Amino acid sequence: MTRARAAACAIVLCSVAAARDAAAQPAGATPGRFEVSGGATWIGRTSIGAADAGETTPSNGSLRIFSTSSDLAAAPEIDVRIGLRLARALAVEAETAYGRPELRVSLSGDIENAAPATAVERMQEYLIGGAVLWRVPGLQRPRLSPFVAAGGGYLRELHDRALLAQTGRYYTVGGGVAYLLASRSGWIKATGVRVDARAVVRRDGVAFAAGSHTAPSLGASLFVRF
Amino acid sequence: MKRRAPVALVLALVVAPADPALAYLKFGTTVGGRQVTLKWSQTPVRYFVTNVSVPGVSADDFQAAVGRAFATWHAVPTASIAYQLGGATNAVPGRDDGLSTLGFVSRPDLDRVLAQTSFLVDASTGALVEADIFFNSAFPWSVAPGGDANRFDLESIALHEIGHFNGLGHSALGETELRAGGGRTVLAAEAVMFPIAFAPGSTAGRTLKADDIAGISDLYPASGSAATLGTVSGRVTKNGAGVFGAHVVAFDPATGSMVANFTLNANGQFSIGGLSPGPRVIRVEPLDDAELDSFFDPSRQVDLDFRVAFSDRVVIVPRGGDSGEIAIAVVAK
Repeated sequence: MTRARAAACAIVLCSVAAARDAAAQPAGATPGRFEVSGGATWIGRTSIGAADAGETTPSNGSLRIFSTSSDLAAAPEIDVRIGLRLARALAVEAETAYGRPELRVSLSGDIENAAPATAVERMQEYLIGGAVLWRVPGLQRPRLSPFVAAGGGYLRELHDRALLAQTGRYYTVGGGVAYLLASRSGWIKATGVRVDARAVVRRDGVAFAAGSHTAPSLGASLFVRF
Repeated sequence: MKRRAPVALVLALVVAPADPALAYLKFGTTVGGRQVTLKWSQTPVRYFVTNVSVPGVSADDFQAAVGRAFATWHAVPTASIAYQLGGATNAVPGRDDGLSTLGFVSRPDLDRVLAQTSFLVDASTGALVEADIFFNSAFPWSVAPGGDANRFDLESIALHEIGHFNGLGHSALGETELRAGGGRTVLAAEAVMFPIAFAPGSTAGRTLKADDIAGISDLYPASGSAATLGTVSGRVTKNGAGVFGAHVVAFDPATGSMVANFTLNANGQFSIGGLSPGPRVIRVEPLDDAELDSFFDPSRQVDLDFRVAFSDRVVIVPRGGDSGEIAIAVVAK
């Protein structure tokens, strides 16, 4: 048996044993008070504004020179969360995420027939905030824990080699499910995977238009409970 | 030694024999082989107004209208230029008398010139000594708050000429169409410093645009504004060679404002200063909406043979710095 195959077998055996432990837990049990998770989240495209380049006519009207439509392209982000269980069904989390979405400005309708084009810039985006999780009591299963969550925080977007930083706020609302892979009585109380589906609402930052700019997000992470 | 240079006019176009320096279209002069930007070295700049009135505009109306135009430039928060009315004078604009004088002068021979600014320059230092503005009384003028359909708006034209008085050259942010009988009609403009005036009756030229504000802020930066405003710079090429005289426009998708400049040397380099920080989209177009001699010395060979193009990059204006050189390749028509 090669070393790699032996390692794979060991992981499978551990998982089976862990699943057996988890199955022994009562319904809705949430072992551990603290939870640390890390994973990846895909955030969908966000429209951040449209504007015309216009010139003033003699009657104070506007003559359109070209049009723009801007968005933050869909992009993956990596995220880390630290949670604290306050009650059987209630927890709070601190979270941080980092991604590199593209800022895309589509240009069209040029008065002198310039070919439509898209100007692009890859940005860096940091989200630092928190959320409240409520594990829906009637839906708890031995290894499955559906939850709803809402949160928000600080948004920091860095342009082009960090030449310029723009800041704003973000809010999230949605839900997900945590699946317990293993639980035990040691220092590490449990491990598992978690899937989140949320709406991410960004305000300010790079957004060209005022107001809220909403995108869907879907994330998956591994968690460890202590 | 001092020398007088008539540098700018307005109406259905005219001449700005500017010698542009790289970084915004400003007037320049050569002192000892060195390019010097024309500007006032001390403010407030003192100006005088003549007692001459014309039909529709009394001497008091004139003083009030040019006073409002000076106040508009003075009010730009990111610029430091200031003015002081010295009073009324019998002096004639255009005379080398040490007084910067604004007033009406009848010049029916200049049938396309609404107004003209001329400078007296200290040739040894390049410093501005005097700047005079004459308004051609051969045309009908108005100071009516809402404009007068058959008369040119004095405040609008004064605002343009005072831009020259400050040292600014012409902007090309405008769209025109050729008239059958010669000359051009302005369809729209997004800079008071566009070289062709709006038609009689329009008061749209009483308000400074982003391009004018960027220009005056670049020329006379207010204290601290150099640390907050930024620059976009780069190079326009065609078949690998620099393009001279390309009109480069920086558009702000957040505010809808446009600020522009030209490629000002044979390498095709440009620099647009006085910009608030943030992302910009860059558009490059041939300089085909006004006479070329409104912008450049007629001896310069301006390249008009290329298609309008956009930069494929969103360009970032940093706070108090430069974007770093961006490259835009254009193709022949």
